[in-house]
Amino acid sequence: MSKKHGLNLSKAEIMEHRLEILYRILPLISVLLLVGLWMIASRDFNADVGSGFPTPAAVWDRTVRLFTRPVKKMNLIMHALVSLRRIGLALAFDWTFGIIFGIIIGWFPKPRAFFTPMFDAFRAVPPLAWIPLITLWFGIGEFPKILIVIFGSLASIVVNVKAGLSAVDKMYLNVGTVFNATPMQTLIKIAIPSSLDAIFAGVRTSTSAAWMVVLAAEMLGADSGVGFLISRGMDSIDMPLVLTGMIAIGIVGAILAILTQFVERLICPWTRKSK
Amino acid sequence: MSEEYKVKVEHLTKYFGDLHVLDDVSFNIKKGEFLCVVGPTGCGKTTFLNLLTRIYMPTKGELYIDGERADPKKHNLSVVFQEPSAMPWLTVEKNLRFGMEIKKLAKDEIDRRVLNMIKLLGLEQFRDRYPHQLSMSTAQRIIIGRAFAMQPDLLLMDEPYGQMDIKLRFYLEDEVIRLWKEMGTTVVFITHNIEEAVYLAERVLILTNKPAKIREEVNVDIPRPRKVSDPEFVKIRNHVTEQIRWW
Repeated sequence: MSKKHGLNLSKAEIMEHRLEILYRILPLISVLLLVGLWMIASRDFNADVGSGFPTPAAVWDRTVRLFTRPVKKMNLIMHALVSLRRIGLALAFDWTFGIIFGIIIGWFPKPRAFFTPMFDAFRAVPPLAWIPLITLWFGIGEFPKILIVIFGSLASIVVNVKAGLSAVDKMYLNVGTVFNATPMQTLIKIAIPSSLDAIFAGVRTSTSAAWMVVLAAEMLGADSGVGFLISRGMDSIDMPLVLTGMIAIGIVGAILAILTQFVERLICPWTRKSK
Repeated sequence: MSEEYKVKVEHLTKYFGDLHVLDDVSFNIKKGEFLCVVGPTGCGKTTFLNLLTRIYMPTKGELYIDGERADPKKHNLSVVFQEPSAMPWLTVEKNLRFGMEIKKLAKDEIDRRVLNMIKLLGLEQFRDRYPHQLSMSTAQRIIIGRAFAMQPDLLLMDEPYGQMDIKLRFYLEDEVIRLWKEMGTTVVFITHNIEEAVYLAERVLILTNKPAKIREEVNVDIPRPRKVSDPEFVKIRNHVTEQIRWW
């Protein structure tokens, strides 16, 4: 018998308590293991010829140097902000046009029948396949990059919004019928609110899709952005810079995920399951 | 057509594909009457209700409310559905407002009625909660409040107390009687609980198994408040039970 809070715990409760501790420790072990593996993998790193896998220390030094000697007059944070600006503009389009389009093809059967084949064909094409055409039409400025990001992230929001609107619980629609709601009231007061969690799933997936595509777009021709840092590192065999870029991508991606989740909780408080 | 009748049901028949649910059902409901419909589970009680609200259309026959073909656009009716139908994205208070806001009532009128309902149903402490944070029976109280707040002249209730604990059910049964008397609403109350039907109704309509026909109409002339142990009450309850067990 062990004592906790002055209470005698049963064997099963002690087991449960130990398991809880284990669940908290396991993620830490995972991170430590990753760093350990990284150190082992980078044993043969040679900074001068750029051979081998860069050490954590080399990556850290390179990250610091990015602030003291910026690339193209921009430090890491400024590059990240440039990338974020690109996805911000693309997402602004996604979240207005994409949501409206998703609502239209999710809610109204005729537009759905008409647009679905067209839309399915569009989203079957990987966004990067558009790069040659877009470059040909619009050159290599800001706009074509944003356009590629839109092409890469629009589908995920449209699909989610459409799914939400086309699967509104009949029960809620019946309530509307009984109270004699107009078609507009049914859409705005019942269908859209009941789909808000699906719409937010779209917001989340479009954000992560946009973040992935912007990096690819930047790697193919840009002079700023995190994707550019990676391709610059590749061109000059500066592997620590590549790793710096990769880690920055991971961190920004995680921040974006947390942010969208936070906003979702703010806007859809009923999806929180707490008492 | 007589002015006395709130609802006239004529030769109502409903098929879902090959499934014959209602078979040539005809009856009338008087203005201000409290009618209970009982019958075996799955006999088509809910279908009848959904025909009145035009969620379904009849295969044959017709329903008239106030002498006109039933139409939620024209008639001020409210429904308490069997399933929990509170909007999960609205708080308790906003759920109560929902129907009245759809019908665009004046804001101070809505405020007044909502406040009244919250008090009546004892929902004060839940005002700003969401339905998923509440127990089944509390969530169902929202639906009842939402329906009564509309002050409908025809109220349709589809086993509204099925999910509730017994104490609250007794309380709400008295509550529905009180509201019915106060507002002069015509109430159609569907239940499979025979005691509940005899306790509430002026008239009990007993349906047969599918395809449902009317087995019998039983008038309940017991003064209120009724006592479940009253010999007259027991007699009627037993009679209704016999009729349902008949097949």
